[in-house]
Amino acid sequence: MTRIKDKKSSRIRKAIYCCVLSLVFVLTAPLIPYVIDAQADDVKTSKADKIIALQSPAINLWNEVRQRNAASEGTSQVKGVDSGILINKTGEDWRLFRMEMLMPYGAYFMAAIIGVIALFFLLHGKTRLPGGRTGELLLRFTLNQRTAHWFAAGIFWLLGITGLILLYGRFVLIPLLGADGFSITASACKEMHNLIGPLFILAVFALLVLYIKDNFFKLSDLTWIAKGGGMLGVHVSAGRFNAGEKIWFWLVMIFGSLLCITGLILDFSVFGQGREIMALSHVIHGISALLLISVSFGHIYLGTIGVEGTLEGMTTGYVDASWAKSHHDHWYEEMSAVSEAVKSAEKDTEVGTASPSPSPAAGD
Amino acid sequence: MFEQFVNGIFWDIALIVFFVGVIGRLATLFLRSKRIDYSEPRNSGISGAIMANIHGFYPRKEISSRVRIQVIAGYMFHLGFFILLFFAAPHVKFIAEHITGFSYMTIPYWAFIVSAQIAFAGLILLWVHRVLNPVTRLISKRSDHVSSILVFVVMLTGCMALAEASSELRALHRFSVELLMIYFPFSALMHAFMFVPSRAFTGAFLGRRGVKV
Repeated sequence: MTRIKDKKSSRIRKAIYCCVLSLVFVLTAPLIPYVIDAQADDVKTSKADKIIALQSPAINLWNEVRQRNAASEGTSQVKGVDSGILINKTGEDWRLFRMEMLMPYGAYFMAAIIGVIALFFLLHGKTRLPGGRTGELLLRFTLNQRTAHWFAAGIFWLLGITGLILLYGRFVLIPLLGADGFSITASACKEMHNLIGPLFILAVFALLVLYIKDNFFKLSDLTWIAKGGGMLGVHVSAGRFNAGEKIWFWLVMIFGSLLCITGLILDFSVFGQGREIMALSHVIHGISALLLISVSFGHIYLGTIGVEGTLEGMTTGYVDASWAKSHHDHWYEEMSAVSEAVKSAEKDTEVGTASPSPSPAAGD
Repeated sequence: MFEQFVNGIFWDIALIVFFVGVIGRLATLFLRSKRIDYSEPRNSGISGAIMANIHGFYPRKEISSRVRIQVIAGYMFHLGFFILLFFAAPHVKFIAEHITGFSYMTIPYWAFIVSAQIAFAGLILLWVHRVLNPVTRLISKRSDHVSSILVFVVMLTGCMALAEASSELRALHRFSVELLMIYFPFSALMHAFMFVPSRAFTGAFLGRRGVKV
């Protein structure tokens, strides 16, 4: 039976890999001509030819129109939000923040997190289960909890990848695809990001409802943090979720909610929000997204290759007792106590059923 | 070249395979020789067929709490997808130009977007649940996963082409739709046409024997 199951699950795994590969192929195949074109253009055109002259001959005229020291809002017969503003002064601040702060520092932050994880993995390697597997399994996540997690993860990465392409695509993809190819890719990503975005609200809400119960901080979490979460070789006790997991949960809740709110402001621009609110929303949206994406690398590392036996908790729902004892000993003790209580109650019921003395019902 | 292929010969092939395949499978079902049941019916087979069709739309009370996600996500996906497919303005225009020759009512843009979001949420939830639930994982065949992924690709490429900014994106969407049309008759996606007769068959069979459907 187990062999049939293994064979079946291996076939399903292969089918899933094939599906994902075909998905990637179908989505990228039409871009191939653009890659070829862009490479050919690179050969033909020297870099110097590509530099666009930034100095506009009309710069003085626009400086006058802009009226740096005068009132920024005039009058107009057009009725609408910001319709009296000819040139929005804060627009340049937003542009500079996006180009000179958000994009470079966001990239450095992500790269630093990936670097730290890679260095840690090289020095420390995979955290193995002490004493190997016991074969005794504990239910860690219910089916609903796992479904909510993978639903949220899928939506998060779809939005993350499309968002990163919109933010950094012009630097990474234009040399590869050319301007036309990138234009199509960016348009596709924008539409996907805007349409799928509101589903993230559903995902964050589902995570909140299904996971909040064991994610409130306790004093013992300070000890866990002070001892580096057991990463420094010292064993640290923890309940169902350790302080690191709780911090990740609350980061997702806080910054996820900010992403949802600012995303809605940016997505539905028909409710009278002006450019300044849109620019501020974009700043908050960008910072929150880059922070969550960066921290998620750590979450993914620890949940997959970093710690043995963790991923199966989120795929099958069960973890080995050895994993539970090693990483969440207080939770293991609680679960063992519950299990003992259930066993003894079952034993009592069996004894009661097998008892020769007639029950009142039988007596009737 | 890709666009010419997708809008020309590949569309014709997909249309022929889809219609011939679907009609062929339905014909196989209805024209197969039936064993005549000589036993005296205890109840009406027709009422059994009707009741089975109606009862198939909601779960039995005994299992309703265990199948809540499948039912909710199932309705989300199927209703969202149905509205999207037959009432979204670009689809109605395409159907009128290439299939029926006449147009009909369309939904507003916001309803198009909302139905797409509901369909996406339902489809992702259904597939994640299929893979995570040990029972559904065990009874799922490769074609079930392929069908889910293909439908997802069709919806995703449709979403990518939403701005109608380039003909390449629209061609990509059409290409994925054509792949789905070719795959359709040979897969479990045939349930779109089969669910009524198959429920009716089971309901009539049980109804004649006096089983409460």
